[in-house]
Amino acid sequence: MQSWRRKSLWLALSASWLLVLLRVFPLLRLAVPTRPWAGAPQGWPRWLDAELLPHFSQPGELPKDDLQPPRGPRGGSCDWGSCFDVSKCRGGRLKVFVQPVAGPISDAHRGILASIESSRYHSVSPDEACLLLGLEAPAGECSPVPPQWNGGRNHLVLSLHPAFCPQTFQLGQAMVAKAGPTVDTFRPGFDVALPLLPEAHPLRGGAPGQLGQHSPHPGVPLLALAEERGGWRTAGADSSACPWDGRCEQDRGPEQTHPGATLPNATFCLIPGHGPDALHFLQALQAGCIPVLLSPRWELPFSEVIDWTKAAIVADERLLFQVLTALQEMPPTRVLALRQQTQFLWDAYFSSVEKVIHTTLEIIQDRIFGASAHPSLLWNSPPGALLALPTFSTSPLDFPFYHLQRGSRPTGRFSALIWVGDPGQPPLNLIQAVAGSQHCAQILVLWSSEKPPPLRWPKTAVPLTVLAGQRKASDRFLPHTAISTDAILSLDAHSSLTTSEVDFAFVVWQSFPERMVGFLTWSHFWDEARGGWGYTAERANEFSMVLTSAAFYHRYYHTLLTHSLPEALRTLADEAPTCADILMNFLVAAVTKLPPIKVPYGRQHLEARPPLTPGGPESQPPAQDCINQMAAEFGSMPLVSSRLRLDPVLFKDPVSVLRKKYRSLEKP
Amino acid sequence: MCASVKYNIRGPALIPRMKTKHRIYYVTLFSIVLLGLIATGMFQFWPHSIESSSDWNVEKRSVRDVPVVRLPADSPIPERGDLSCRMHTCFDVYRCGFNPKNKIKVYIYSLKKYVDDSGVPVSNTISREYNELLTAISDSDYYTDDINRACLFVPSIDVLNQNTLRIKETAQALAQLSRWDRGTNHLLFNMLPGGPPDYNTALDVPRDRALLAGGGFSTWTYRQGYDVSIPVYSPLSAEVDLPEKGPGPRRYFLLSSQMAVHPEYREDLEALQAKHGESVLVLDKCTNLSEGVLSVHKRCREHQVFDYPQVLQEAIFCVVLRGARLGQAVLSDVLRAGCVPVVIADSYILPFSEVLDWKRASVVVPEEKMSDVYGILQSIPQRQIEEMQRQARWFWEAYFQSIKAIALATLQIISDRIYPYAALSYEEWNDPPTVKWSSVSNPLFLPLIPPQSQGFTAIVLTYDRVESLFRVITEVSKVPSLSKLLVVWNNQNKNPPEDSLWPKIRVPLKVVRTAENKLSNRFFPYDEIETEAVLAIDDDIIMLTSDELQFGYEVWREFPDRLVGYPGRLHLWDHEMNKWKYESEWTNEVSMVLTGAAFYHKYFNYLYTYKMPGDIKNWVDAHMNCEDIAMNFLVANVTGKAVIKVTPRKKFKCPECTAIDGLSLDQTHMVERSECINKFASVFGTMPLKVVEHRADPVLYKDDFPEKLKSFPNIGSL
Repeated sequence: MQSWRRKSLWLALSASWLLVLLRVFPLLRLAVPTRPWAGAPQGWPRWLDAELLPHFSQPGELPKDDLQPPRGPRGGSCDWGSCFDVSKCRGGRLKVFVQPVAGPISDAHRGILASIESSRYHSVSPDEACLLLGLEAPAGECSPVPPQWNGGRNHLVLSLHPAFCPQTFQLGQAMVAKAGPTVDTFRPGFDVALPLLPEAHPLRGGAPGQLGQHSPHPGVPLLALAEERGGWRTAGADSSACPWDGRCEQDRGPEQTHPGATLPNATFCLIPGHGPDALHFLQALQAGCIPVLLSPRWELPFSEVIDWTKAAIVADERLLFQVLTALQEMPPTRVLALRQQTQFLWDAYFSSVEKVIHTTLEIIQDRIFGASAHPSLLWNSPPGALLALPTFSTSPLDFPFYHLQRGSRPTGRFSALIWVGDPGQPPLNLIQAVAGSQHCAQILVLWSSEKPPPLRWPKTAVPLTVLAGQRKASDRFLPHTAISTDAILSLDAHSSLTTSEVDFAFVVWQSFPERMVGFLTWSHFWDEARGGWGYTAERANEFSMVLTSAAFYHRYYHTLLTHSLPEALRTLADEAPTCADILMNFLVAAVTKLPPIKVPYGRQHLEARPPLTPGGPESQPPAQDCINQMAAEFGSMPLVSSRLRLDPVLFKDPVSVLRKKYRSLEKP
Repeated sequence: MCASVKYNIRGPALIPRMKTKHRIYYVTLFSIVLLGLIATGMFQFWPHSIESSSDWNVEKRSVRDVPVVRLPADSPIPERGDLSCRMHTCFDVYRCGFNPKNKIKVYIYSLKKYVDDSGVPVSNTISREYNELLTAISDSDYYTDDINRACLFVPSIDVLNQNTLRIKETAQALAQLSRWDRGTNHLLFNMLPGGPPDYNTALDVPRDRALLAGGGFSTWTYRQGYDVSIPVYSPLSAEVDLPEKGPGPRRYFLLSSQMAVHPEYREDLEALQAKHGESVLVLDKCTNLSEGVLSVHKRCREHQVFDYPQVLQEAIFCVVLRGARLGQAVLSDVLRAGCVPVVIADSYILPFSEVLDWKRASVVVPEEKMSDVYGILQSIPQRQIEEMQRQARWFWEAYFQSIKAIALATLQIISDRIYPYAALSYEEWNDPPTVKWSSVSNPLFLPLIPPQSQGFTAIVLTYDRVESLFRVITEVSKVPSLSKLLVVWNNQNKNPPEDSLWPKIRVPLKVVRTAENKLSNRFFPYDEIETEAVLAIDDDIIMLTSDELQFGYEVWREFPDRLVGYPGRLHLWDHEMNKWKYESEWTNEVSMVLTGAAFYHKYFNYLYTYKMPGDIKNWVDAHMNCEDIAMNFLVANVTGKAVIKVTPRKKFKCPECTAIDGLSLDQTHMVERSECINKFASVFGTMPLKVVEHRADPVLYKDDFPEKLKSFPNIGSL
C-alpha cells in the first residue's frame, strides 16, 4: 500500500515536472531570436540571380522616336509656360492695368481699385501693362467680354466674393483668382487661390491677430468645431466622448455655442472641408486657433507660396478619431509653432483686402521673376513677402530679419549718412567723432543745401563721399548705391555724438538688426481732446520713436520706404522734416511690430543742441497732422512703446571707471 | 492539461480505496500519458531545424523559378486611370487605421511570371532596379507581410519602363491581384512612361484608381496630391564614382550634355555657343570612338572627347532639355555634379515637387525663351548660384542617389499625406544638413508683447530657510504685476509651516511639496503656473525692490523669448587651459543671468524638464549645482538670442553681505561652475551662449529728471 502510494506520488510528480518542462522549453526557444523562419516576416526574397537581372533601361538605349518635334500646349488646360506671355512684361516687371468697368461700381469695388492703384504694379495704360486685370462684378451684374480680351491671354480675372453670375464669357487662357476654388478646377501654378473674405473685411490695415500670448492659456478648451450656422462650438480636452459628427447634439453639457461673429477661443479649430466653411478658416486664423481642415474640397489660399503645414493641419475626415488623438497628443512645441504661424500669416497676407490683392499680384510677379523670386523662407516667416522685396536681394542674409534663423549676425561695419540741409554748415566735429569709431566703414555726406558743398573736407580715417541731394526730406531715405554696409548711421548736420556713443549704439544694433537704435526719442499718445494721435518730444518714461537725426538702422529700410510705400506718404514726408522721422518709425514698427531701442545720450549734447524738437502740440500743427494722416494710410497705428533703455553693462555702477569700456558715457 | 495534473496530485488519497487492477490501470495510464508527452516534446525540439533550413533554401531562389500565371485572353482589364482621383475620393484611408508610429504599412505581392494564353511572357519578370526597389521597401519600417494590415499595396509586376511590357496583358495581370479592388491603395512605380509615337507623360497601362509614382509627369497627367512625381534613375549613379566638388570657379558657364536633342533645340544651343564662345559647351554623342569604349561614358564636341559625367563638374549651369519624354535621367547626373540644372521642359512636374523646393536648386526656363537663357542665368547673383549648387548636390544625395532613396521618399510623401500631423516639415525635406545644423528656429518667433494684465507667477525654491523665505514672499508680493506665488518646498524631512504662519498676501500662494530634493524641481512645468511669465527667485534674494521686479517684468514683456535676470555672469575662453571659464567679476559683457532672480517664459520649464539634451538634467541634480547655467544654455541654444540683464549691479541677499551678490565666490565654486560650462558645451556640441555689452535700465535711469516723475525710481540703490 505504502509503496504504491509512494510510487504513484513519484509518478504524478515526475509527470507534472515533465509537463512543466515541455510547456516552458518551447517558450524559451521562441524567446531566443534565430534566423527567420515561418512566423517571422518573410520580406522580399533575396534572389540568387539578382545581379544578373536586366536593367530597366539599357544604358545608351535611345529610342529613335526621342527625336520627336516639340509639342505645344495640349487640350483646353493652361499652365504658366503655355498661357502667359512673359515677354510682354518689359524688364521682367509686372505692370497691371485694371479693365474699366461699365456702369456704377460699388464701394468695395472702388476700394479694390484704389488698393491696386496704390501698389507698385499699377499702370495707367493697357499697352504698358503685361497683366490685364478684370474685376468680377458683384452679385447681380454680369460683366461683358472686356476689350483687349484676346482669348484671355495675360488676363487675370479677380473675384473676391463668390460669383452668383455664371461666367458670361469663356475664361480660356485667363488666370482666375477666386475665393476657395475647388481642387478639381484649380490649375496649380496658374490660377491663384484666394481666401473667402467676409463682406465687411477691412480694406486697409485690418484687425490684428487675436493672439495675446504665445502658448495656449491653460484654461482654454482644446477644440472648437465650426458649425454650419456660422458659429463655433467648443469643448474641453475630454472631448473624446464626443465624436464630432453631429451625434453629440443632445449632450450639450460642457459645451457652449458662440454667436456667429465671435472668434473661436480654443487651441484647435475643426473645420469640415465643405465650401462655406472657408469663412471659418479665416476666423480661426485671426483668432490664433489652429485650423484643422477635414478633407477640404477647396484649394487653400495662396497655397502656391504659403506652406500651410506650418499653420494648419489638413487631415482626412475618415480618420477622425486618429486625428483627435493626434491633436491631444501633439507636443507643446508644435502647438506653439502652429499658433504663432497662424497669427503671422493673418497679419501678413489676410487681414485686409489690400493685403490679399497685393499678395495675389506678388505671386504673379514671382512667377515672372523666376529664379529671382522670393525664396520660400521669405514667404513663410515674419515679416512676410510683401515686406521683403526680392528686388533688394534674394539672399535672406541681406535682409535684417533672418539672421537669427540662419544662426548668423550682421557683419561688422556701418556707413554714416549725414544729411546737410540749410544753412549748409559742414558738420566737421561730427565727422571727426563718427570717423573715430572703429566700426565706421565710410562717411557719406548728403548735401541738400542751396549753398554748394565745400571743396575741401577734413582728412578722415575712412573714405568720405559727398552725394548731391534733391533738397527733399525724403532724400535721406533713398537707397543710395554708395551705401556699402548693412548698417546705416543716419545723422543730421547739427547732430552731436561722441565716438563712444556711436560705438556702443552700433554694438547694440548688431544684436537687433531689424530695429532702429537711436539716441533721442519721441512718444506718441492718443489725444482724447482732439480725437486723434499726437506725439511729444518731452522726456517721459516711455517712447515709441527714435529720431533719424541720430539712429542706426538697416539699409534695407531705405529700399522698402522708397519702393513699397505709397507715393502719398513720401510726399507727406517731404512737406515737413519731422514727418520723415515719423514715417521711418512707422515703417519699421509696421514691419517688426516692435518698439525701437534707445541707448544713452550724453546730457552735454542736449544743452548744446539747437531746439529742433516740436515744443508742444500747438507749436507744429502740420506735423501733428502728419501722424494722423500716416496712421490713416497705414490703416492702423503701428507704433509700439518701450519702457527701457539699453545701457552698457557697467553703466554708472560704483566701480572704477578704468574697468569700463564706454567711459565717456559716464560723464554727468 | 492543468486539470489532469491536479487530478494526479490528488490521486494518492483515492488510491488506497481502489482495487489492485484499478491501480495497474492507473499506472498504465500514467505511463502512456508520460510517453505521449515525451514524444510530443521530442517532436517539438527536433524537426524545426529541418523546417527552417528548408525555408532558407526557399528564400535563395532564382527569379526563373517563380510560379507562372497564365492570363486568359478575356480576363478583365482595369479602367484607364481616373484623372479626377484625389486622396479623399480614391484612396481608402480606413485601411491605414491608427498607427502609433504614424507610418503607413506597405505590402508587396509575391513575384509571379505572367504569360498570355499562348505562353508568351507579358514582360521581363523583373528588372534589377525594380528588384532593388522592392528590397528597399521590404527592408524599411513601412513593410508588412500581413496583407490584412497593409495600407498600401505594391505589385511585383515591373512597370518601370513601359517599353519592356505589353500594355493590355500587364493591365490584366494587375486586375487579377488578390486585393486589386479597382486599384484602390495600389502603388505603381514607373520611370519611363509612354511609347512611340506620341509618348504619353504617364504610364499607358490602364490602372484605374491606382496611385502612380511616375518619372515624367506633365501638368496634364499629374494628379496633384495623389500621384507622386519621381526622378528617372540614372544607372551612372551606381557605376561611376564622382566625389563632391564644392562651389568654386568652373570652366563653363553653361553646358549641354544630352545626346538625343531635337534638331530644332540643338540649333538653338549651337547658336548660344556661337554667341557666347568658350563659356558655353554643347556636347553630343561621339561617332568616332574606338572599340570597347562605352559610349555612355563619353561625350564629344567635334573631335574633342570628354568624360561623362565628370565633365558636368566643370560647368555652373547644365541644360536639362525635354526629349520625347519629359523626365530625363540626365537631371540626376547634373544634380550629382553640383551643376545647377536649367530645366527646359514646359509643363514638366519636377521630381518630388510636392515637397522639394526646386526654386532653390534649379532654374526653370520656358521652351520659347531658350534663346534668352544665357541672359536669364547671368542675372542670378553669385551667392545664389553657390547656394543652388550646394542644394543640387544635397537633393541628389538625399533623394536621387539610389533606387532606395527614391522608393523611401515616395513612401514618406504618401505616409505624410495620411498622417499630416506627423509629416516632415519643409525644412526637413529641403535644408541640407549644414543648414539644419546652423539654423535656429526660435520657439517663440512671433513678435508679440504680451498684455501687462497677464502678470507673472513667482516661483520660490526653498529648503528650510523659513524666515528668509517669508521675507522674500513679503517683498515679492508688493510687485503690482504678481498674479500668483508658488513655493516649491524641496525638503522632504520637514513639513512646511502651518497655513496660519505664512505671510498674508494679496495674491494666491500655493505650496508644492516635492518628492525628492532636486534642483530641477524649480524648473518643473507645474500646472499651477497659469501665466506665461515666470519669476524664478531664491529664498534668500531679499534685496530686490518692488520697482526692480516690476521693471524686470516690463522688460520681459518686450523680450518674452529671453531670460531676463538680475545678476549677470560671463563665460570666457581660457587660452592657457584651452577651455571655458566662468567669470563673475565686474565685466563689460554678460552672457548669462542667474536664475536666482530671473523672468522667463514658462515654455522653457517644459523644455528644461523634458527636452534637455543629453544627461544634463540628471547631472545637475546629482551635482546639486549649475541648474541656472543649464537653463542659460538651453534658452540660448533654442532661441539663438542673448540674455537681458536688468538694472545695475547690486547686493541681492543682504545689505551687509561681503560677497557682492550672493553665491560664494571662493575658488572651488568658480572651478565647479567652469566645469559645468565645459560639460554643457560638450553635450550641446557647441557654445550657444551669446555675449552682449548691454543691460536694460528704465528710460530715465540716472537721468537728470525729477525722481518722483520716474516710473521706476527705486532702482539700483544698494
